[in-house]
Amino acid sequence: MGKLGAILAVCALTLFGPLSACSTGERVDLGEDASGNLVAAIAGEPDQLDPHKTTAYFSFEVLENVFDTLVQPDANLEMRPALAQSWEVSPDQLTWTFHLRKGVTFHDGTPFTGNDVVYSYRRIIDGQLANVDKFSAVTDIRAPDDSTVVIRVKQPTPNLLTNLGGFKGMAIVERKNVEDGQIATHPIGTGPFAFQGSKSGDSIALRANPNYWAGAPKVSGVTFRFISEPSTALSALQAGEVDWTDSVPPQRVSQLKDDDSINLTVTPSNDYWYLALNEARPPWNDVRVRQAIAYGIDRDAIVQATSYGTAAANQLAIPKGNPWYVPYETYRYDLDKAKSLLREVQAAGRPTPRNLDMLVTSEYPETVTAAQIIADNLAPLGITVNIRTVDFATWLDEQNSGNFDMLMMGWLGNIDPDDFYYAQHHSGGTSNAQKYSNPDVDRLLDAGRVETNRDARADDYAKAARLIADQASYIYLYNPSVIQAWTKNLSGYEPRRDGAIRFGTATLTRDGTQ
Amino acid sequence: VTAATMRFLARRLLYSLVVLLGVLVVVFAIVHLVPGDPVRIALGTRYTPGAYDALRAASGLDKPVLQQFFGYVGSAFTGDLGVSFRTGDPVTATLLERLPATISLAFVGIVIAAVIALPAGIWSALHEGRLSDAIVRVTSQFGVSIPDFWMGILLIALFSTTLGWLPTSGYRPLFDDPGGWLRHVILPGLTVGLVAAAIMTRYVRSAVLEVAAMGYVRTAKSKGLSPRVVTFRHTVRNALVPVLTITGIQLATILGGVIVVEVVFAWPGLGRLVYNAVAARDYPLIQGAVLLIAALFLLINLVVDVLYAVVDPRIRLS
Repeated sequence: MGKLGAILAVCALTLFGPLSACSTGERVDLGEDASGNLVAAIAGEPDQLDPHKTTAYFSFEVLENVFDTLVQPDANLEMRPALAQSWEVSPDQLTWTFHLRKGVTFHDGTPFTGNDVVYSYRRIIDGQLANVDKFSAVTDIRAPDDSTVVIRVKQPTPNLLTNLGGFKGMAIVERKNVEDGQIATHPIGTGPFAFQGSKSGDSIALRANPNYWAGAPKVSGVTFRFISEPSTALSALQAGEVDWTDSVPPQRVSQLKDDDSINLTVTPSNDYWYLALNEARPPWNDVRVRQAIAYGIDRDAIVQATSYGTAAANQLAIPKGNPWYVPYETYRYDLDKAKSLLREVQAAGRPTPRNLDMLVTSEYPETVTAAQIIADNLAPLGITVNIRTVDFATWLDEQNSGNFDMLMMGWLGNIDPDDFYYAQHHSGGTSNAQKYSNPDVDRLLDAGRVETNRDARADDYAKAARLIADQASYIYLYNPSVIQAWTKNLSGYEPRRDGAIRFGTATLTRDGTQ
Repeated sequence: VTAATMRFLARRLLYSLVVLLGVLVVVFAIVHLVPGDPVRIALGTRYTPGAYDALRAASGLDKPVLQQFFGYVGSAFTGDLGVSFRTGDPVTATLLERLPATISLAFVGIVIAAVIALPAGIWSALHEGRLSDAIVRVTSQFGVSIPDFWMGILLIALFSTTLGWLPTSGYRPLFDDPGGWLRHVILPGLTVGLVAAAIMTRYVRSAVLEVAAMGYVRTAKSKGLSPRVVTFRHTVRNALVPVLTITGIQLATILGGVIVVEVVFAWPGLGRLVYNAVAARDYPLIQGAVLLIAALFLLINLVVDVLYAVVDPRIRLS
């Protein structure tokens, strides 16, 4: 998935406390179609519902339940069968044959076949849609019969399954739905729920797909309500108006953990936040200057201020518990070390920083909060941080044109290590805004892309990751958590570290009310 | 309705069209001048030059700006405001879908404001300098200062979470579900209404005070008219013109979107729509929404002008 299409638990200043503790459990009218639906409050409105075109997390929260991919990640993010029941790879690793599940239909009753897979993938490739880079190694896709799809790649591609099924941006769509122009507003998929209707600015309703291949959902449908103010979402949950929400104020997490009337989970995610220094501009092209900044910032204070301690500080991208995790603790908050690095630079007759133009965006309030701490942290080093807060549109322009000294941003939805490192740190990477370039890193990242031995591949990425952090291409900050809360009436739902929201197995028991 | 009134309305309508065309030109120019590329935003950082060109062409942004403008104006006159870049929905349909929620909130808010502000302002003015005047003035100062965000959260905490009387958030259409509409509109309406009431109370008070100092009021008193007649026929009626003005301005402001209240109560009004549209540089949606809001302003202005003539026959519609 792309760069933070979502607002991760916006830290609004909600200050009221004890009044909300008691709940009446009264359920307010849902309208006749939706009674019995699971009501989920999400923090914003999807922009559009075409899975191949949207980049917004809010859209994917809904689409996760409407569409399927060929394969899909399980709770540990290993790829498992979905629309493909099984697959095999040729000995030369260049031909992948997928055997499709039989008897699957789209929500409008049209049978699902191999042609739908070919059509969906060709749509992304030929239309140059947002996820076209997932097919960079693919040379040919064809369906020899209705239940087989053959994909050819130009080089061994160990992360092909992750590319094809890592998130619903690679969904299998219906040709008719695309060609009649309906997919953006009335999507038709093969998933556990079918799109039913939407109310602009208010909600989207899905109804259960009784013919779902993995078994019909146990709830009649899901209504996604858009409640961006976290304190309102929480009140609605406590009042029994909604059953589930991920719009939770992080500053109330410690208090809510003791609340027996709701379930609250704080799940470490694969997302991460980082700082990047613009290496196209002196003095940031000097590795010692970047390292001085890395030693000069107080990572723990940033974690506390941005997430109220719900996030996990990390000096690399991949969090603990992930199969690709690499331990790394080179840096610490150490002003003496930072000063001595800067003195070294000065002694070598190279420029040292006086001012630092820090680009942050109000779209992600954590960047604004962190910038204030960083400004404070770097003052003893003689560096004046000028915090430039802009809207996200301007932020993207400025990042793109390289008009910044340092920026803070996050990435989410990564699964394979290639997602974590290639685009960001390869000298030819599409997201290498900081202009980092290191032939050793390039070689390791290229090798990781084609290495089919799992251990050898993990070794390539561990080496690359250490180099990236040693040379401060990114100064990694922390992995945020997925914070979700739901009522005691909801069971069979599991929060996931990739942030995918799946209600296909959820059950709802209404105790007398409704 | 006299011929003069008809001529007045016709002229105002024509004038409104000219203003709207002006608004269109200005908005079109501004959205295209503001930095931030809608295509880049839509792609985020999953950006490739090919994907960029494809989306740009699909959105019509590759055409010369003048061609885009005249194409837009041409179809706008037929009611077609284009298709949102962001959602793929027709702009006209989206705006019409949002309008009832906005009108509901504005109507309820202004009624609550008027019901509070008129008696409070008149009472306060007639008891100038006394304790009750001080209470009204302090309360309204408090109402002006309290952030609507804060007030909304307090109302939810009291009426939804604690008492369980009203839903925390959301909206029901009036004609589908009148009871649900009422229960959902009360809290946001109260939030909007209380803030507006605080502002309006102060206007009503000073308008009544100003009129009460007029010679004709003194004359009315001195010729022995009852205080009731002096108050309502001579003072309040003449104070209504400035009160109408401020009511119109308040109403138009609420109709243009009360974004904070919409966010707190998850209310599907125009404010949040415009905010999201600007963040995404969704040109067609920004243009359409501004056009609609401008049209609502003009309409309210017209109604207020007509009402001037109703409350004060000395004012002619010309």
